[in-house]
Amino acid sequence: MPEVVIPIGPHHPALKEPVNFRIIADGEKIVRLELDLSYNHRGVEKAAEQRDFIRVLPLLERVCGICSHSHATAFAKGIEEIMQIGIPPRARYIRTIIAELERMHSHLLWLGVAAHLIGFDTLFMWTWRDREAVQDTLEEMSGNRVHYNINEIGGVRCDLTPSQVNAALARLPLLEERVNTYVDMVNSEETLLIRFRGVGRLSKEEALRYGTVGPTARASGIDYDTRKDDPYLAYSEAPWNVVTDSNGDVFGRTRVRVRELQESLKIVRFCLENLPEGPIRVPAPKNAPKGEILSRYEAPRGELAHFIRTNGTDRVERIDIRTPTLANWTSVAMCLVNRNIADIPVIVAAIDPCLSCTSRITLVDNQTQKAGVIGFDELIRRYRSRNPEEV
Amino acid sequence: MSVLREMFENLLSRPITILYPKEKVPIPAAFRGRIAIADDKCIGCSKCSLVCPAQVITMVDGPRNVEFRGKNLARKKRPQVKLYKCIRCGLCERHCPAGAITLKHELSGSGTDREVVVT
Amino acid sequence: MTDPVSGLIYVFIFPGFLFLFIYALFLAFLDRKIAARMQQRVGPPFFQPFADFIKVLGKEVIDPAGVDRVVFDAAPLVALAAVMTAFLYVPVTGNSPLAFQGDLVVVLYLLSLPTLVLFLLGWLSRNIFSAIGGIRAVTQLFIYEVPFFLALLTPALMAGTWSVSEIVLWQQKNLWFVFLQPIGFIVALVGLQAKLERRPFDIPEAETEIVAGPWTELTGRRLAVMDLTIDLSLVVGSALVAALFLGGPLIPWAIAPAWLEGIIGFLLFLIKTLAVLLILSSIKVATGRIRIDQLNDIGWKYIAGASIVQVGIVLVMNYLWVYA
Repeated sequence: MPEVVIPIGPHHPALKEPVNFRIIADGEKIVRLELDLSYNHRGVEKAAEQRDFIRVLPLLERVCGICSHSHATAFAKGIEEIMQIGIPPRARYIRTIIAELERMHSHLLWLGVAAHLIGFDTLFMWTWRDREAVQDTLEEMSGNRVHYNINEIGGVRCDLTPSQVNAALARLPLLEERVNTYVDMVNSEETLLIRFRGVGRLSKEEALRYGTVGPTARASGIDYDTRKDDPYLAYSEAPWNVVTDSNGDVFGRTRVRVRELQESLKIVRFCLENLPEGPIRVPAPKNAPKGEILSRYEAPRGELAHFIRTNGTDRVERIDIRTPTLANWTSVAMCLVNRNIADIPVIVAAIDPCLSCTSRITLVDNQTQKAGVIGFDELIRRYRSRNPEEV
Repeated sequence: MSVLREMFENLLSRPITILYPKEKVPIPAAFRGRIAIADDKCIGCSKCSLVCPAQVITMVDGPRNVEFRGKNLARKKRPQVKLYKCIRCGLCERHCPAGAITLKHELSGSGTDREVVVT
Repeated sequence: MTDPVSGLIYVFIFPGFLFLFIYALFLAFLDRKIAARMQQRVGPPFFQPFADFIKVLGKEVIDPAGVDRVVFDAAPLVALAAVMTAFLYVPVTGNSPLAFQGDLVVVLYLLSLPTLVLFLLGWLSRNIFSAIGGIRAVTQLFIYEVPFFLALLTPALMAGTWSVSEIVLWQQKNLWFVFLQPIGFIVALVGLQAKLERRPFDIPEAETEIVAGPWTELTGRRLAVMDLTIDLSLVVGSALVAALFLGGPLIPWAIAPAWLEGIIGFLLFLIKTLAVLLILSSIKVATGRIRIDQLNDIGWKYIAGASIVQVGIVLVMNYLWVYA
């Protein structure tokens, strides 16, 4: 067959969110691909400049449904550092519990979706059934299954009662047993092995060169986890390990995520059992002093970076969100060349793409009525033209 | 072969589906549902209107004498909520000094008349 | 040949087309229910496949631009006709009155027609996803058809006849072929799963990769007819495997009244096809999809190898039988 263009997206059953891959394929082999993001751009960064610190947190939470707590906590932690207030230990522990529960629900969701994409619907049904236990716990603690709104500048919004803590602890043993089953299943189930092994291999040098983060990078042997390298919340107190794998392919990424589930369970158990007493918030000033900060957080998909610039008012002057999915897209484009069409959904799903998080940039030209993206050289050129004294 | 064993165990046991609406899901205490305003507690300070991220609370006329922290206050305004736009974040409940605005367990009802969905 | 009235009843009512239609919808329901219960879900009610059929029949038929409408309408009907005809030669309550020497070959040929129709539809649809799906369907046909045919011909080799009804009679006098040729039974089941394009072999219809493959542009009554064809092939395929390996509707000893023998035969037919369905559903639930190049690997190395080994064993056994 001569080369054909196969449009994967923007609408396609394999994708949960719109993204456009135009695959140039020769038979079943992919020759090259053209990637187009930004179908989910909503203008969150601009909208955040118009809301004060109390009202902006629910907005930032809604950047993404699955990693909602990550965005809110990264922002709250950044602003608290600019304001130089320390939150009480109970608030730190509560934030950590919700963060790890969110990581668990995200990884269980991912496992189900990855299984569904290779047609293994049974594992999809089972992992989502077990995810319900995590969602029930989150609903008991915060009032909602996603978008928990547990953060405030200065602490957390609501407290954990002893009955909530006990109910959560009662659910943990069953979850531990199920997660151990999934660890075994991933290592021994024939269908998963045959579809995931050898697919989308990234060596350590390639992973570093393309800027991958999160479980994608850790599966290639890079020992980088923001929770250990730049600790925040209660991660330096809870006993847990960074999970790496040396396989570097989709199989390695699956193993990393499933073992991260086990580590998350350990952290949640530690935090629930050792929840310190005390207040859950400190009073925060209305305005933030002038400053710039880069707040990093380990979202379920990798390292999330919020760049925040404040100017003495009660709003941010500029917020820039660099999500982990944005960092991982290059590796997808590189991995897909010379693979089969049947591997496209597998490789795309292996970075756990969250396109609502990704679409941060688009350039709209009013005069020519066109939209597009800015290249790196153009970006440097614009910066230099605006800041001549720094050149 | 744990998959096979679990498959056949599941075949012989009950499904875990909750057959709504015959069986109901238990609603936790912290559930954030529809907004309810207790008129006898509200002091009309407008704090809920100021913190709402979706800007769905507007202050309308509602004079009333209210007891607050041992003093008698003459309230001038009271909040009106566009229930159909509320995102149920719970910030109004968190910041109300009088505890007058709370999130109940029911979800916002639907209706064809605007009066039903604006308290 | 029997008299024309009972012949017509056999062909159209029982155990002909009407029974086939009802039983196919019932087996489709059972397949979905078993799969659902294994996943701890509730599953559809018993009338679901029938309701789906009626609903899809009433939907709007959309013709993509530039597509040959006549062939697009006729091709699913050809597939349906092929599968319905194949069922007439499979014994249901006793011997099929239409049996003749060589009807095994006719049945196998008719059962491969739906796959060729799928390829045709994929090619005609002027849609890249359908074209890829059609090519995958034909590739899969080449890979599994050789071992499947060989596995179904080994009972004929041992029984010394080319008619399905006579193979069933041979099993009634001797032993069921599932005990004499277990490798052939396993290869036949795997081949049947691949023919019906169910997991792990549902590569042509891989929803998450190529939308719906050759089924993408089928809508309305065309989709209803193709769906029905696949459901009917499930019945015909399981009945064929049950007849060739599990002894069909005949029991090893004779029972006095002929009508009682017929009823017991029919019940045995139901039980045996349900057993085959249970095995096929379990395979479907326990696995995910494999890639077409991996199927190529597994098909030619292991499945074709096993079927050739089985043929070799049967030839040796025949030789020893003659000389013993």
